[in-house]
Amino acid sequence: MTRFVLQRIGGALLVLLALSVLIHVLFYFAPGDPARLACGERCNPQQIAQVREQLGLNESAVAQYLHFLQGLVAGRDYSAGAGQALHCDAPCLGFSYQTDQQVTGLILTRLPATLSLALGALAIWLLVGVGTGLLSALRRGGITERLLTVLTLAGTGTPVFILGLLLLMAVCAYLQWLPFPTYVPLTEDPEQWAWNLLLPWLTLGLFESAKYARLTRSSTLEALAEDHIRTFRAYGVGERALVTRHAVRGAVAPVIALSAVDFGTMIGGAVLTESLFGIPGLGKTLIDAVRVVDLPVVVGVVLAIGAAVVVAGAIADLLYAAADRRVALA
Amino acid sequence: MPSQSHISRRVAAAAVSLVLAGGAAACGPKDGADGAGAAGGKPGAAGAPQKGGTLTVLNSEPQNDFDPARLYTSGGGNVPSLVFRTLTTRNREEGAAGTKVVPDLATDTGRPNADATEWTYTLKDGLKYEDGSPITTADIKYGIERSFAAELSGGAPYLRDWLVGGESYEGPYKDGGKGLDSILVPDPKTIVFKLRKPEGEFPFVATQTQFAPVPKAKDTGAKYEEHPVSSGPYKVVKNENDGEHLTLERNEHWDEKTDEERKAYPDKIDVRSGLDSAVINQRLTTSAGPDSAAITTDTNLGPAELAQIGDNKELAGRVGTGHFGYVNYIAFNPKVAPFDNPKVRQAVSHAINRTSVVNAAGGSALAEPATTFLPEREAFGFTPYDHFPAGRTGDPAKAKELLKEAGFPDGLTVTLTHSTAQNRQTSPEVATAVQQALAAAGITVKLEGLENNAFNERRWDAKNTPGFFLSRWGADWPSGGPFLAPIFDGRQIVTGGSNYNHAQLDDPAVNAEIDEIAKLTDLAAAGKRWGALDKKIGEQALTVPLFHPVYKRLVGKDVKNVVISDWTGVLDISQVAVK
Amino acid sequence: MSIALERSAPAPGAVPPGAGAGRQVWRRVRRRPSALAAAAVLALLVLLALAAPLLSHLTGQDPGAYHDDLVDSARGGVPLGSFGGISADHWLGVEPGTGRDLFTRLLYGARISLLVALGAVAVQTAVGVGVGLAAALGGRFAGRLIGLATDVMIALPMLVIGIALTAVVPPDFPRPLLLILLIGLFDWGGTARMVRAQTLALRGLDFVDAARLSGNGTLRIACRELLPSLAAPVITIAAIKVPTAMVAEASLSFLGVGVKPPTPSWGQMLSSAQTWFRADPAYVLLPAGLLFVTVLAFTVLGDAVRTALDPREGSRLRVGTGKESKA
Repeated sequence: MTRFVLQRIGGALLVLLALSVLIHVLFYFAPGDPARLACGERCNPQQIAQVREQLGLNESAVAQYLHFLQGLVAGRDYSAGAGQALHCDAPCLGFSYQTDQQVTGLILTRLPATLSLALGALAIWLLVGVGTGLLSALRRGGITERLLTVLTLAGTGTPVFILGLLLLMAVCAYLQWLPFPTYVPLTEDPEQWAWNLLLPWLTLGLFESAKYARLTRSSTLEALAEDHIRTFRAYGVGERALVTRHAVRGAVAPVIALSAVDFGTMIGGAVLTESLFGIPGLGKTLIDAVRVVDLPVVVGVVLAIGAAVVVAGAIADLLYAAADRRVALA
Repeated sequence: MPSQSHISRRVAAAAVSLVLAGGAAACGPKDGADGAGAAGGKPGAAGAPQKGGTLTVLNSEPQNDFDPARLYTSGGGNVPSLVFRTLTTRNREEGAAGTKVVPDLATDTGRPNADATEWTYTLKDGLKYEDGSPITTADIKYGIERSFAAELSGGAPYLRDWLVGGESYEGPYKDGGKGLDSILVPDPKTIVFKLRKPEGEFPFVATQTQFAPVPKAKDTGAKYEEHPVSSGPYKVVKNENDGEHLTLERNEHWDEKTDEERKAYPDKIDVRSGLDSAVINQRLTTSAGPDSAAITTDTNLGPAELAQIGDNKELAGRVGTGHFGYVNYIAFNPKVAPFDNPKVRQAVSHAINRTSVVNAAGGSALAEPATTFLPEREAFGFTPYDHFPAGRTGDPAKAKELLKEAGFPDGLTVTLTHSTAQNRQTSPEVATAVQQALAAAGITVKLEGLENNAFNERRWDAKNTPGFFLSRWGADWPSGGPFLAPIFDGRQIVTGGSNYNHAQLDDPAVNAEIDEIAKLTDLAAAGKRWGALDKKIGEQALTVPLFHPVYKRLVGKDVKNVVISDWTGVLDISQVAVK
Repeated sequence: MSIALERSAPAPGAVPPGAGAGRQVWRRVRRRPSALAAAAVLALLVLLALAAPLLSHLTGQDPGAYHDDLVDSARGGVPLGSFGGISADHWLGVEPGTGRDLFTRLLYGARISLLVALGAVAVQTAVGVGVGLAAALGGRFAGRLIGLATDVMIALPMLVIGIALTAVVPPDFPRPLLLILLIGLFDWGGTARMVRAQTLALRGLDFVDAARLSGNGTLRIACRELLPSLAAPVITIAAIKVPTAMVAEASLSFLGVGVKPPTPSWGQMLSSAQTWFRADPAYVLLPAGLLFVTVLAFTVLGDAVRTALDPREGSRLRVGTGKESKA
């Protein structure tokens, strides 16, 4: 077990390292002189040179990358003038020269919005997705099953922004049940927080639900086909009891595992949903940073997201193993 | 010159934030045909403004910088001008009256010597910081000096260009305490600026936040923005997440008797920055709870939002219309064939369909078709001309004729460079509108869309400027000078830095006239000559003016006393009341 | 992700190896009315997309032509007339702001969506099969290395890299090709893993051993013996990936990284339509509806192909890969 965990951690670190190199290389070729961007408009060449030196952009690409790694492990200092220094604690993901913000801090301020979105969506897909899957497993062969199959099939194919736009049109524009979502932090007003996130939650939750419905259904059916269930059935245990008491167990492991993965992905991957509803989360931050070629922010956020995905993957494996003893940890 | 504002977010953040990167936000048109607000006088709630309440500001540009050295402001900025007083400031009045410069910390707008190379200011009596200590001219000198530090980059270039020794000064952290010799402080109430050449418009520059006093003992370098020392009616009590949420409360030591400009009605001001522009407009539309006392200083209504407001009188009555000195144009680089041929440039000018272009910019409510480079406001010296008439929808016949004379009887193929930013200014929408119009005249346009940073570097690179591209320019203050000089003065061609003289025009007659006008301290007389100069340069067809934007912005239900000047085009936050 | 993937791979031996598979699959697919309907929808769409220039000529509408007189400039350019300006000339109305004909733009948009989706799947299948075979047949070290590469690709946010790439790649590089390469080179991890697993399973089978004993090289074995046997699972996974690739293209376009204007694509139309959902709902609903129907048709067809190739038949709907969950 310990060995398995260590192996996973080692692998994850390797993946993250490769990721950081890849992004540095990619952005090395990106247009836009960072010193000029940092300097602002109408800087003269001398000023640009000063800023370049102050930001350490005169160093070679390799040296800059090594400094980045050093900051990550040990933190680093930036000159702030007036004999002061801006200290960036480890893990220092860098300093955005376009917005003068510490990337680590930026990520932390964006995280609550993203977590709020992801948690609500998780609740919805567990409820709706798994519920639908079980229902259709229970009503095999009936009209309900067909209907649910069609719905889930349609659901898996729909791009999330179409679902979001349609919900916006229906709920905000025509029925006027909800206002256009404007994110309010939980700490500020819990009620408004929930109301304003309801639509994004529904969008993302329903979008994911289709996949979970299919997963739950197939896992349940697989379990129903297993020998011990057949034995129960032969003993006259009712179908509903079979599904709810026994077959469900077969679905628990994959659902939990996939949920962990999706939740991890969503920490940074809900780019489209966040863009559509203007939620100031990590995904939107990332897209905005990429648009203005703000390298430190892009690197930092991508690494944070990568870490979330990798960690979620590891957790998923562990949960899967724990929930389903039949799987041996390799 | 916040023309390219989002090259750096910092710049825009600080500035009046003229232009927005945000998709929905963009430009603006004339008297909104549908705007009940335009018809029925001032937008906002009726009744006399009262003191009290909390004003909420919802902005899309991040306010990462709140350091007077780094802010790029026009007229002192909007939110910044609540905290930072400057030697002079803009007149806080509606429309054209608002383009005047008036005294702020100083007793007058500055006393020039005979050739306007030396400007002297005297401070008013009883000026205090938020801690009650007196404001001195030494602090103003120090504030200007620190704006030269590389650690505090940003701000407008005028001080570096104009002050004697400014081009090589590296700021107070590196000068060993020597300071900048061209700023003299003979006593705590007097300050003198020595300039390299005559600058009749120096009082306009003295409105920028670099002219705010900074007590040396309180300077913490890049960290100063967390708690800058206030000289204005409000002080910063909280700055969360690097400007994402600023809370301003009354500065008890500000004395309204020393400040004729700022009304300061609300007790508290809550500034949220970095919001999505669709979210801002939605919140202002709904105007629920605290949002009923909300405004935005940087987010326009987009075309779809204007379409939706339509006949809704209540909403239309809350839309403020503003004009900021700004032009969107096609730039030519005459060094690149076939644009070296004036007939080709003229043909393009005749062929342009300004109706399509205006629609691409968001429709006639958000953009006014332009045939002059200068904005259509008196302060800029606006003089009407239309040297190459294209009518409302273009004159392809005339264009074809000129092409034939130029030696292209079968038309020609050219490349139009534009950005991929969703700003409805240099964006693909405008580029395709130009492409379509020129097709009718036999000019095949290939579009070269560049990512915004790459686009800016290309058009600002004097050695590599494209032949034919979309560009834009905004004024740092309402005058023809900051409009025409950077674009057409041959001595402002910059290699190695950012060049805005795209055509690289170096015409001795134009240069000499710019110098002559700069000597004038009579701004009305200067205005006339700027207008005449614009008309004269226009004959060369170095640009095709496309449109002047109009700003349409919503305010909350309870917002009173909305004052929009032609200087900023945005409501003045120091005049707004919520009670 | 890994879990989902491995479960979705059909069991080895499910496959009727060699030729004749195509016809057999079609025979099975044909039996399902839903799949037949999906195939019909797609056939119609492909036909319309191919005939777009002809149809544009017939209706007299150029997808790029502006009609300034059909929009209300004072109101942000909203189309004049009802339902987004539907008229005898403009069957589906016009675009706000420009007055461009929506019918022809949607047709031309279909060309891009289909081209990119199919091209990307071709690329990812080729890369996935190559990498999968290499990982299975190469040494242990090669396998590890490829495994790492696959993990990195899965952790990379495609949309983000896509946006970054469009800033880096020269502007005259053809955009549809860039999109094809981007989507294709990102989403091959699933195919590679499946091919690797299948190959490892097949490697132990008699006919492969026989080939090896008769002195054939690894490459030869891969081409002659393994590839035909891999055909069915590869077709299956490719069929499932088409709608995913289509959604990826739409998502990239939605974020503003798609084909360059004035060339239309559905995602790009949706991107500019998103603010118009109140003022001009037709403008949103048309591309959204088309994209929805097309993706659904591809999903249904892909599902039918999988079922047809899976001997355990019965509609065992499985999970897709993790990539499509990019929300």
